[in-house]
Amino acid sequence: MKIIVFSVIMLTMVVSIGYAAVGCTLNDPDRDIQRLFPEVTNYKTEFITIEERGGETLAKEIQEKLGDTFDPLYESLDVPYAFYTVLKGKDIIGYVHGVNQKGMYGGMQLILATDPEGKIIDFYYQKLSSPESKKFRSDAFTKQFVGLCLADFYARDLKGEIKDPSENSKQDYEATLRGLKKNLILYDEFMLGNRFDKEFILKEVSNAYAQ
Amino acid sequence: MNVLSLAYKNLKRKKIRTALTVMGVAIAVGVLVSLMGFDRGYQAALTRDIDKMGYQLLVTAKGCPYEAATMMLKGGGGLRYMEEDIVKHIESDTRVDKLTPQLVATEYDPDRLDGQGGFVMYMGISDSYRDLKPWVTFKAGTWFSSLNADEAIMGYEAAELEQRAVGDKIFIPNINKVLTVVGIFDRTGTQDDGVVFLPLQTAQTLFDLPGQLTGIGIKLKDIHTIGEFEEDLYNVPGIQVISMAQVRGTILNLVASARVMANSVALIAIFIALIGVINTILMSVFERTQEIGVMKAIGASRLDVFKLIWMETLIICAAAGIIGNVIALVGSGVVEIILRKVLPYAPSGSLVLITPQFLASAFLGAIVLGILSGIYPAWRAASMIPVEAIRRGE
Repeated sequence: MKIIVFSVIMLTMVVSIGYAAVGCTLNDPDRDIQRLFPEVTNYKTEFITIEERGGETLAKEIQEKLGDTFDPLYESLDVPYAFYTVLKGKDIIGYVHGVNQKGMYGGMQLILATDPEGKIIDFYYQKLSSPESKKFRSDAFTKQFVGLCLADFYARDLKGEIKDPSENSKQDYEATLRGLKKNLILYDEFMLGNRFDKEFILKEVSNAYAQ
Repeated sequence: MNVLSLAYKNLKRKKIRTALTVMGVAIAVGVLVSLMGFDRGYQAALTRDIDKMGYQLLVTAKGCPYEAATMMLKGGGGLRYMEEDIVKHIESDTRVDKLTPQLVATEYDPDRLDGQGGFVMYMGISDSYRDLKPWVTFKAGTWFSSLNADEAIMGYEAAELEQRAVGDKIFIPNINKVLTVVGIFDRTGTQDDGVVFLPLQTAQTLFDLPGQLTGIGIKLKDIHTIGEFEEDLYNVPGIQVISMAQVRGTILNLVASARVMANSVALIAIFIALIGVINTILMSVFERTQEIGVMKAIGASRLDVFKLIWMETLIICAAAGIIGNVIALVGSGVVEIILRKVLPYAPSGSLVLITPQFLASAFLGAIVLGILSGIYPAWRAASMIPVEAIRRGE
């Protein structure tokens, strides 16, 4: 009997501690999407990689827009990004998409709910390891992103508007801003057909003039 | 009379019917080969996984499996612990080659699962861990600087999920402890890939379990002494011994019931295929009653007719044996994907192992099937009286 129990433990251990492939999918898509979009009637899930949509050239372009380079180990071109297209009847009422972002004490999972125009409706951390996680998860911090879109990330330095909620976790605050910007760039690239490219070009031109 | 050529020509006259019959048998053969391959592959993979644990016996505190099961299933605490002194007692036994003490601890992380909270497992290990698992290598970094350092080594997948590199920090909630990642193990294909390892003494201090262990992995000098060694350990109070061979046997038993079901389905499929072949050949015999009558009237013997019909059955089954083997080889990848989805515990490595012996046995089995299923139709054809056969066929 003990052997059976032990064997069951072994099976359970493998199942429970076995980590999933590194992408950023919702823990419970049915529940999460219903919570973010109460009027949802259906949703469609797509997994898209940079590799299949443009490879090295696209990766270079995204890094340029992000203003940072990808981590060669954890942001490789074959990472699958999950996009949930939220439907009400036949109409698209929004999207839910997430990215993994390296944080100070562990991997973060940053989930955004956006409207079809690209504006943030909601933002939350699906995963976050930090001694100051409560401050990061608080509405006071996360709700500041509601209403922003990629154009805002391109046009101005949001560090001036959205304050770091932590005392000793500046790295997590900066990682959050980077992760959200990356998330919006990927969303714009994969789902919106680069709608916000003109804002990026404008910013680049103004930077060039300033120099 | 060239029986083989004539039988082949006869089968070609009804191409679709012949093809469908061949496919029916081929699919049954393919399923059977895949199942045999799974049986062999699963056992090999499981044995490999258990061997990768590095030890043949695991000593735990009495009652531990039940509580550990509760902990794993319900995410609560409550592991049983044993005194570290037991290590010295076991170590002094001359039958022991190597042993490694372990301390498993869980800590509640309120940030897990979208802020709903969950448990994270940590494992305290000592230098002897590497003696028992010499194949475990570092993807990056190195071993702990000391057994009480504030350091961690991460399993491959744990590091991937947490996006940790050597030099990064990890945070243990509740006890508010920050540790530095000094190493990341290469992928081992075992549950160790998802574990965060700490130096044993660090784990004992952090989780307030001084001098406590949850398990001791033991490797013996001579595997044949395992029975008596196990018996001796049963006399030590407060502990229980679990043999990895028993664990392997138990898991295989759990899988065996599913295997019996699958094998039964395959046997039914083969039986249906057998009926199908008899039916096809018998139909063909009835359709050719007049032709067979004429053959006999112009000099064909009973044996000639018997051989002809029998050869047709053999051709069908031999072709099905070859195609079935090809289906099994090509489809083994698909079977593996399906098995991994439906099995609760799928060991690492290939789950379907199709050997040349399986392929040869399946082919020979198909030939035997042909021999058996051809007897009755061939006998019916050979027994026809020429005049009656010609008249009936008119």
